[in-house]
Amino acid sequence: MTSSRLLSIGAPVAVGVLFLVVWQIICRVWNIPPYLMPAPSDIGASLMTNGPVLLHALRSTMLVTLIALGVSVVAGVLVAFLLVQSRVIERSLMPYVIILQVTPIVAIAPLIIILVKTTMPALVICATLIAIFPIISNTLQGLRSVDPGLEAFFRMHKASRLQLLLRLRIPGALPMFMAGLRISSGLALVGAVVAEFVAGTGGNSAGLAYEILQSGFQMDIPRMFAALALITLAGLVLFGATAALQQLVLRRWHEHG
Amino acid sequence: MVTETVTLQAVEKVFPNGVRGLAPVDLNIRQGELVTLIGPSGCGKSTLLKLIASLHAPTAGSVSWWGGDFSRVGSEGRRLSFVFQDPTLMPWSNVTTNVRLPLDLDGVPRAEAEARVLPALEQVGLSHAATRFPAQLSGGMRMRVSIARALVTKPDLLLMDEPFGALDEFTRNRLDEDMARLCARDGLTTIFVTHSLYEAAFLSSRVIVMAASPGRIYAEYAIDPGMPRDENFRLSNEFAAICRDLNALLSEVSHLDHRTEQAQ
Ligand SMILES: Nc1ncnc2c1ncn2[C@@H]1O[C@H](COP(=O)(O)OP(=O)(O)OP(=O)(O)O)[C@@H](O)[C@H]1O
Ligand SMILES: [Mg+2]
Repeated sequence: MTSSRLLSIGAPVAVGVLFLVVWQIICRVWNIPPYLMPAPSDIGASLMTNGPVLLHALRSTMLVTLIALGVSVVAGVLVAFLLVQSRVIERSLMPYVIILQVTPIVAIAPLIIILVKTTMPALVICATLIAIFPIISNTLQGLRSVDPGLEAFFRMHKASRLQLLLRLRIPGALPMFMAGLRISSGLALVGAVVAEFVAGTGGNSAGLAYEILQSGFQMDIPRMFAALALITLAGLVLFGATAALQQLVLRRWHEHG
Repeated sequence: MVTETVTLQAVEKVFPNGVRGLAPVDLNIRQGELVTLIGPSGCGKSTLLKLIASLHAPTAGSVSWWGGDFSRVGSEGRRLSFVFQDPTLMPWSNVTTNVRLPLDLDGVPRAEAEARVLPALEQVGLSHAATRFPAQLSGGMRMRVSIARALVTKPDLLLMDEPFGALDEFTRNRLDEDMARLCARDGLTTIFVTHSLYEAAFLSSRVIVMAASPGRIYAEYAIDPGMPRDENFRLSNEFAAICRDLNALLSEVSHLDHRTEQAQ
């Protein structure tokens, strides 16, 4: 147990450290200038000096991501519940859900930015449009994938629609929903960054994408990498948080004793 | 006092795809009987059981429950429980909540329902596992939880569709003995579907042998020895004779099957 734990944490850390060391050595030995390829130490230094600005940008990006994720969960679950109500509703709405999924949101992001004048809501709308689909499709599939035997049992005991929903459909949909949430959390971050790129707004609500753009204009490549590192970090934290939530919620399903 | 629990009159089932699941069947289940349905795969045993549980509607003919329609089922003195081939437990709930489910659905107050769960678990020898989750139980234990869930409503008619089909023979025999004891003690009326003629011979007071394509009742066979039966019954000459008779009936049915297949 402990040794496998050590391996699952220690091995990737070792790989990461090795990668950074090799990167550092290559940059120093060949004397690659930082504006072409900064060494890890340059990025670290940039992270220190630009810390306050970058952290502020990280806060903005995370805010958009989390709001978009929250809206996706609420709206996505509501849409899934609506679709599962009847075949007619599903038949008439499902094509639009699919259109939403197959249209690259990057392509309509500029339109949204133009239509919605205030920056923050525009960013949230873009990120939500990207993040919502896995929630809808997974929740829908979860609500559908009810054990037919259990459903027959509920029917035999003349269960009401509400009882069926609360005691069978919702708990039964949880694993699929949680899987959808994990995918969506990553997509919400992608959506937020993409929307920031398109909007390109600076000022108080400047996000990490804006910092990357600016660093590019100023040829401050270490700062660009530093911003990128923070986006990755944010993605990892989101991934870890949703994985932990999934573990917590579904613990009992998989427990073998 | 009414002694019939369920009566089927010329009940027929044709599925939407045109398959004749059941040719007209007449059947009368009397109170306190343990009837087993046996026959080749696809002969309509599950279909018959689902018609009785009102999970299917008959294409023709009528089913009556305690002399009335299905709306009478569920009230005092007319309860029906179904044990499926799979345990069909809720994986997100522990054993207690799983067993309590039918009481919750029937609107029994929580405190009363809780109080009835433990005796039901004791009946199937699982009182020690009350707080465990289905994933933590063995296949046989899950099946016993499923039986406890069926017994907790104190059913007047218990329907079981090959409940022990997936279990090893040793576990199956033990559960059969438990069933025989429980049914005899409470005078439980039971319809039991099985593939095993030994199980049918051990449990039933009446065996109904079914034939396939279309599903129909081929023969009935009454078994006299009183309940409860135990392991000794399994070793008796009488048991051997019953098994021989049932085996003869089943091979007749399978030859019949063979002939209709050749004719087609
Ligand atoms: N929902 C359905 N739609 C169409 N045909 C069905 C359906 N359910 C059962 N059948 C058909 O009806 C016939 C009887 O099926 P049933 O499940 O009652 O057989 P069974 O005796 O329980 O078989 P087994 O011992 O294998 O469980 C079969 O030919 C089957 O293909
Ligand atoms: Mg069957």
